[in-house]
Amino acid sequence: MKNLTKILALLIAALMICGSFAAFAEDVDLPREETLYFAGQQWGTVNSWNIIGTNQNNSMAIAGGASGYRTLMFETLYMYNFMNGEMIGLLANDGYEWNEDMTALTLSIKDAAKWSDGTDVTGADVVRTFDIGVEIGNATGTGFQAYVDKIEADGKNVTIYAKVNDEGKPVNPLKVLDFLTGTPIAQAAWIDTVVERNGGDAVSILNDAGEDVVWSGPYTKYYSDDQKVVLIRDDNYWGQDESMWGALPVPKYIAHTIYADNPAGENALKAGEVDVCQQFIGNIQNLWLEDGLPISTYYEEAPYGVCLTMPTAWYNFNLPVLAENPALRKAIAMAVDYDTIIANAMTNQSPSFAEVPRSLMNPTEGEQALYNHDEVADLQWAGSDIDGANALLDEAGLVDTDNDGIREYNGEKISLNAVCPNGWTDWQASMEVVAAAGKNIGIEITTLYPEWSIYQTVFTNPSQTEYAIYMWSPEAASPSNPWTRANQFMGSEFVGVENNWSGNWGQYVNEEADALLKQIPLTTDTEELKALYTELTKIYLTEVPSFSLMYRPSLFHAVNESVWTNFPAGDDGRNIPPADCTDGYGIAALYELELVG
Amino acid sequence: MKNTLRQVFHSSKFVVGFVIFVAILLTMIVYPLINPGNPLEMIGVGTFAKPGTYVSLYDATKTPTETLRLSDAGDKRLAKLLSDEDRVAMVEWFTAMGIDVEGLDISDTDALLELWRANYDPSAKPKGMTQARRNYYKRLNNSIASINASETLIIAEKNDAGELEEQGQITTTDYVNVRQVANVKALPLGTDNFGRDVLKELVSAAGTSIIIGLIAGAVATLVGLTLGLLSGYVGGLVDDIIMFVTNIFTVIPGFVLLILISYSIGQEQRGATVVALVIGLTSWTWTTRSVRSQVISLRNRDHVNLSKLSGHSLVRIIITDILPYIASYVVMAFILQVSSGILAEAQLSLLGLGPRTTEVPTLGLMMNWAMLYSAHTNGSWWAYFPVILTITLISFSLNLMNTGLDQVFNPTLRD
Repeated sequence: MKNLTKILALLIAALMICGSFAAFAEDVDLPREETLYFAGQQWGTVNSWNIIGTNQNNSMAIAGGASGYRTLMFETLYMYNFMNGEMIGLLANDGYEWNEDMTALTLSIKDAAKWSDGTDVTGADVVRTFDIGVEIGNATGTGFQAYVDKIEADGKNVTIYAKVNDEGKPVNPLKVLDFLTGTPIAQAAWIDTVVERNGGDAVSILNDAGEDVVWSGPYTKYYSDDQKVVLIRDDNYWGQDESMWGALPVPKYIAHTIYADNPAGENALKAGEVDVCQQFIGNIQNLWLEDGLPISTYYEEAPYGVCLTMPTAWYNFNLPVLAENPALRKAIAMAVDYDTIIANAMTNQSPSFAEVPRSLMNPTEGEQALYNHDEVADLQWAGSDIDGANALLDEAGLVDTDNDGIREYNGEKISLNAVCPNGWTDWQASMEVVAAAGKNIGIEITTLYPEWSIYQTVFTNPSQTEYAIYMWSPEAASPSNPWTRANQFMGSEFVGVENNWSGNWGQYVNEEADALLKQIPLTTDTEELKALYTELTKIYLTEVPSFSLMYRPSLFHAVNESVWTNFPAGDDGRNIPPADCTDGYGIAALYELELVG
Repeated sequence: MKNTLRQVFHSSKFVVGFVIFVAILLTMIVYPLINPGNPLEMIGVGTFAKPGTYVSLYDATKTPTETLRLSDAGDKRLAKLLSDEDRVAMVEWFTAMGIDVEGLDISDTDALLELWRANYDPSAKPKGMTQARRNYYKRLNNSIASINASETLIIAEKNDAGELEEQGQITTTDYVNVRQVANVKALPLGTDNFGRDVLKELVSAAGTSIIIGLIAGAVATLVGLTLGLLSGYVGGLVDDIIMFVTNIFTVIPGFVLLILISYSIGQEQRGATVVALVIGLTSWTWTTRSVRSQVISLRNRDHVNLSKLSGHSLVRIIITDILPYIASYVVMAFILQVSSGILAEAQLSLLGLGPRTTEVPTLGLMMNWAMLYSAHTNGSWWAYFPVILTITLISFSLNLMNTGLDQVFNPTLRD
């Protein structure tokens, strides 16, 4: 008996040792000087490589970023550059053409463009990518079927027909442009294979693992497990052709260690184990000012990055007290101390509302020029205006009748909650500041931080009454912005939509705004456009269906130059956006990286 | 009673623990009198201001000055703008740009600066130099530019026409007495992630945490004592039932139970008192077990049997004949429960399951926010270390008192 125990123990020990060796054997050895390490993009194990599927959880290869598609492995027709709004040809040749009434757009695929199996990329691939999307309802299908009617191809030439309304006008030409920069093209032949092996069943096609996927981009899958994801350069990449980049991207490997949380990624960046970090790092300037680390951001001074979106507090219009009292909505927004939010939650990595007054626009010059600042100046508020907010509430008849320090509406004290997901610290800090503002104007506001899994089901539910003030960010940058963002703020098309991830999370309805939102995509004259946007901004600032709390980059871009250098920077004159060297035209940075020393 | 107290205060361990605890309590009472106001007020706009004394620059410029000629003032000023590392870095720049540094003495500030002014070009990109390094040189250049900028600074205000109008000058030998400046704020422990005064918050949080500990301890001891007395004295079926329940609670790890209950209550209902009650209601089991075993050994003593024969009621027997014999034990158990209650709150809050955050500061919440804001990785020790120290001191003092009491009351430990 004793011997048996001994043998068993030995066996177990041997197994454990073998196991640990097996783990070592699986580990990939990446030469540091050939690998670009990322943090802040991939959380958890990759689910699939199926470019036409859903829920891939594969951020390095498949990710529709808010500022351009990530084209490391799969490519779009055009690359978007949010620094100047340009669309640069990737699979397609530069320059697309609209017909006169903007119902059809023509473009041609580059002659050099090839799939990884050596076949040409053709118009048929674009057609098949769109058609399968509509058929099985993936992101391409649901995102564009309302705007793109059909796509036709003739060899390398592609014509995209916009959906038209009853008057024969296109529904939204801007969204057609989004298709060009936001849709990764998949190979028609590969799509056929996938459809066939899944017997044409939409759900199984969406969930296909896609291990055999055919790609067109400069990198492909190399290794992935629950510890890291590695892409390897495809040295046969078509883009070496002079008509595209004329070279291969510099790093041979793209690696992303899967970190447990933000602090882990931040520590790896500080240690030089990560080259490009897409994480919010508070007081990031201390990394170089105090710690003397070779870390830099796109801009040397605050706000350090390019802010493209604005995390916003949405009012719930399912609650009568909020829906029926514009004065209450405005008063809370006026009382909030935005300077504290920006200094605290964003550690000043955002312009202030004094520098960039609130509107529907992000702080980029292009969007700011789209409305008349002077015309809406009277409607603006700077924040921390307790007296103004109190006066507004008194005037609206929302007064404290029973002297308990809290104002009443219809005999009930006004008590609201301010909600955001637990662990989203910068948002939590913002909600604390909003709650503090409530205290100053006699509105009871308590903070609530549910877990993300709960939060996401509640705030996307169109009839929820659990959350009163809650946070979410509208869209950042794309060819269709600021229209898309404005539509998210006020478009009634999202009202009542179940599982609503698209926009108008507060269920606000305004017919006047709806009419303007319909008109804008069809307007090409700049002056007219500006007038329409100004009108829309006026409604937004008067009605206050939501209020933005800060400006924020859609991607954080901090780089450690221990190994690699020549990352894009604000003053280098190259106009490569700080998009982590991966998104939209940001990928151009990969071709110009250099080793330090 | 008097004798017992004297005995207790003869125990050095108890006295040390008691003194620490009373000192903490006194601070909690006295400090808010010196520094009144809402401990949760966000006075700092940014995050984690360093500990120190903050002097209003605005008020300082409007304070009468004295002229002091200090011989080392110039050197100190220069050292602040141009450190020894900066001097070495300047030479590195010259080398990278291929500038001859033969015979250059880096301690010769004038020569160094002259060479720098003649040769530095912010747009130059020496080969192999990183963006981060180039940014460093830009900052260094700005710093150098202010070295000999001017011996006097001019204070100007905008007049009605919007033009700058000189109001006064500040020279390098002007000093103000800190006592005369209208606004000086001492922040001995800096500010936290919300810009709140950490010391003020800490004092208030220690109070809340002790109250949570007291409530939790009282509940746990009360429940544990009642069940233990009943179970031990009555015995039989009652004992079986109570011990059945107690055993179930003993095998379920208390902290897991605590997490599950706190989670299911939901944040909106989780005030400090509710959290204290939950902690109390999940930690009574060991009190029950030990009280029960003591009561079992007591219940067949002669005086108890006499009482029974005299027809005294159950309650009276328990209160007058049994309780006094285990009172010292109960007090010690209570002290330990208070201590573990405070720790439990800290643990819960650290997991984000503590009291909801807008109302009162607690030690656990302070640690929770410090951790969420990576205070431990960005070097803001003042946001969490004093909190840990306070928790340690409180539970250390309570445990010390407990050990002291044990030595007095436990016959096997008595000297």
